[in-house]
Amino acid sequence: MANVADTAPASGQSRAAAGLARVRGLLGATEVDVRLFGMLVALGVILLAFNILTEGRFFRPANMVTLAVQAIPVAILATGMVLVIVSRNIDLSVGSLTGIIAMTYAMLMTDWLPNVLGMGVDFPMRWLIALVLGICLGAAFGAVQGFIIAYIGVPSFVVTLGGLLSIRGAIWYFSNGAAVTGLDPTFQLIGGGARGSIGEMLTWAIGGIGCLAVIAGLWNGRRQRRRFGFPVRPIWAEITLGVLGCAAMLGLAAFANGNYLPPGLASEYAREHGITEPSGGLKVPAGFPLPIILLIGVTVVMAWIATRRRFGRYVYAYGGNPDAAELAGINTRLTILKTFVVMGILAALSAAVVSARLNGATLDIGNSYELYVIAAAVVGGTSFAGGIGTIPGAVLGAFVMQALSYGLSFMGVNSPGQNVVAGIVLILAVAFDTWNRRRAAR
Amino acid sequence: MVTRKLAAVLGVFALVLAACGTGTTSQAPDGSAGSTDCTVAVSWNNFQQPRWAAADEPNIKGAVESAGGTYISADADLSSEQQLTDVSNLIGQGADVLILLAQDQNAVLPALQEAKDSGIPVIAYDRLIEDPDILYITFNNIGVGEAQAAAVLEEVPSGNYVLIKGDPGDPNASTFLPQGWDDAGLKEKVDSGEITILNGPEAGSGEWPADYGTYTDAWDTQTAQENMEAIIDAANADNQTIDAILAENDSTALGVVAALEAKNYGFPPLSGQDGDPANLNNVALGKQFVDVWKNANELGKAAGQAAIQLCEGTAMEDVAIDIDSSVAPLDGNSPTDFETPGGNTVKSLILQPTPLTAEDLDVVINAGWYATKDDICAGVTDADPGFEDCQ
Repeated sequence: MANVADTAPASGQSRAAAGLARVRGLLGATEVDVRLFGMLVALGVILLAFNILTEGRFFRPANMVTLAVQAIPVAILATGMVLVIVSRNIDLSVGSLTGIIAMTYAMLMTDWLPNVLGMGVDFPMRWLIALVLGICLGAAFGAVQGFIIAYIGVPSFVVTLGGLLSIRGAIWYFSNGAAVTGLDPTFQLIGGGARGSIGEMLTWAIGGIGCLAVIAGLWNGRRQRRRFGFPVRPIWAEITLGVLGCAAMLGLAAFANGNYLPPGLASEYAREHGITEPSGGLKVPAGFPLPIILLIGVTVVMAWIATRRRFGRYVYAYGGNPDAAELAGINTRLTILKTFVVMGILAALSAAVVSARLNGATLDIGNSYELYVIAAAVVGGTSFAGGIGTIPGAVLGAFVMQALSYGLSFMGVNSPGQNVVAGIVLILAVAFDTWNRRRAAR
Repeated sequence: MVTRKLAAVLGVFALVLAACGTGTTSQAPDGSAGSTDCTVAVSWNNFQQPRWAAADEPNIKGAVESAGGTYISADADLSSEQQLTDVSNLIGQGADVLILLAQDQNAVLPALQEAKDSGIPVIAYDRLIEDPDILYITFNNIGVGEAQAAAVLEEVPSGNYVLIKGDPGDPNASTFLPQGWDDAGLKEKVDSGEITILNGPEAGSGEWPADYGTYTDAWDTQTAQENMEAIIDAANADNQTIDAILAENDSTALGVVAALEAKNYGFPPLSGQDGDPANLNNVALGKQFVDVWKNANELGKAAGQAAIQLCEGTAMEDVAIDIDSSVAPLDGNSPTDFETPGGNTVKSLILQPTPLTAEDLDVVINAGWYATKDDICAGVTDADPGFEDCQ
């Protein structure tokens, strides 16, 4: 790839084309994932467009934090959907699964734990007990569906479609259709909200760790390549990447710290810390909300599983060529089953964020999530042909979809308009991707 | 949509099984308390909302059975097709009167025709069906909107309002409730500039009420929450404060409260409708200002009583119901003429809704509503507005 930069453009070519080739060459030298980079640019363009349309009212830390938190339930699920789609399956039950686990959390904390098991209303760690049970439930549902798909051989579309219907029915049965509200205050922090942010110092710390991780990753990569005699990036590319990556991490932290606590909470903070409030109100940086930390964690772990762990590589191997994977001795059935277990665990995490945000659960939680999650994975470059797809891409895909939906709500466009735009973007994204891939293949 | 269609297919299958199972047992019981041997059939459109199974059904059933009649029913689970099958089956089971909660007022017409062909009187329950021969028993839906806006306008006579509407396909959301808001004086105040709608075009530009406010697909709580968060962000970016919020029903009001809490915005006066347990709890906690309650217990009683009388041959205009006076129709306890939007004149009993603020929670607590005192008063302390009624 690096060689492209050195080939002189043919004399007949125009200057513009030469310039473009040169840029492409420089990009090639940095070995940036062009697809991911393109998605980031697209997200930037969308945000910029909304900012212009709203005369600069849109691109502010408080608004971007809302947008990010709204995108998180779908983004968490999308990281698992990548593995499912990569291994040539589909999971239509994620929305219903999220719904039933959200309802389980709500019932556990408001009814079952305090009333049935006789634990007090303020039983310590009640939220953690609920969370652990929810994750177990998600894993169990996933295992059952995965078993039927992998070992009995019923197509995943059918099994999870059945799951979609029957689990949704079970939610209704549990709740009698009524909303269940009033969750544990600690549990509510998982959803972010006014109090669920990590504060200024921790936000800087996470930005700093991110910066160091970028540098360490680059340095380690260079060392490994040297060791095995692979070609290394030119040193200028390494430095540029390091500086840009580090700046991006610290910039994000600074941006998040530009989101202040709501005035009421700021006054409370001032009282607690013995600060006299200035006349304009105290500005207390709130930093990253907790669900964003959860998403960062999920993304890092899932990306690590997908690219570094044996299970993840098996998933991609199977997706690329099921027969070859089977012949190579991979336990393909167990691999498929595991992808659904992972999906179930992620549904439990997603449900925690949704129900914590709502401070309860309703019958309609997770309705049509399966569609948004699949859309996010696909916009993020996951291919239905199997074998192709990245975790960060899917997360970015979820952000692109939510940016459109949030931006249009922010501007006061009603839901029919939002759906039209979301549908068109989905098709355009996949069309562009297909075109790009075909071009690259030539 | 896919979900619903599949559910419908499965539902038909289940119904065939059910029909086979009950075919031999659907005989009218004897030795009953009253004198009649009427069979009253109810075709429900959906039991997903808790109110139907918890409030309407037991009261219809109670009114029918205390008069000695037999109650039979079927639930169409949100499918118009299923409802047609249900009605045929109910007629086949020997229904003498049909109470119909229509999933779709047009799609249900073939079922209505089938009932009329069999000489069965039809009561359109809660939702209108465009046909001159029905008896229409419902709450005053325009009155619900009027009660919502009247309560909130009294509390906040001028300032910035946010309108959270329901599903754009439901005439209650797009037409009747906004019409009630206007009856309470909302449009006048918007025209005079006393009230500004934050989530709408500039006053005077755009069509009232269609272009003002934010619709919520399927009345979904999460959608309402996300929309409200965006509205708060936009208001903050404009340095505007939200003084009051008109939400059309309780599921959307619940999403609004979640958004207000997430932004620690405080709780500007907020309306709702339905008397859902979680929302009545919010009223007691001071998070929702008013919940307009349709006492479906009384609606069910009215329908059950009317059904028995129709079955016994009483003419439609001579039907007389006996229900709680606080919700009884303004025009008396016998049906009066009602002009439908489709141009038909139907006999109707239109009950009055009850606006509930924190001061009137005792009304709903004492009424035997399915939201119990424990539900309504959960977590209420002496600092909350509903404390007194929760004692």
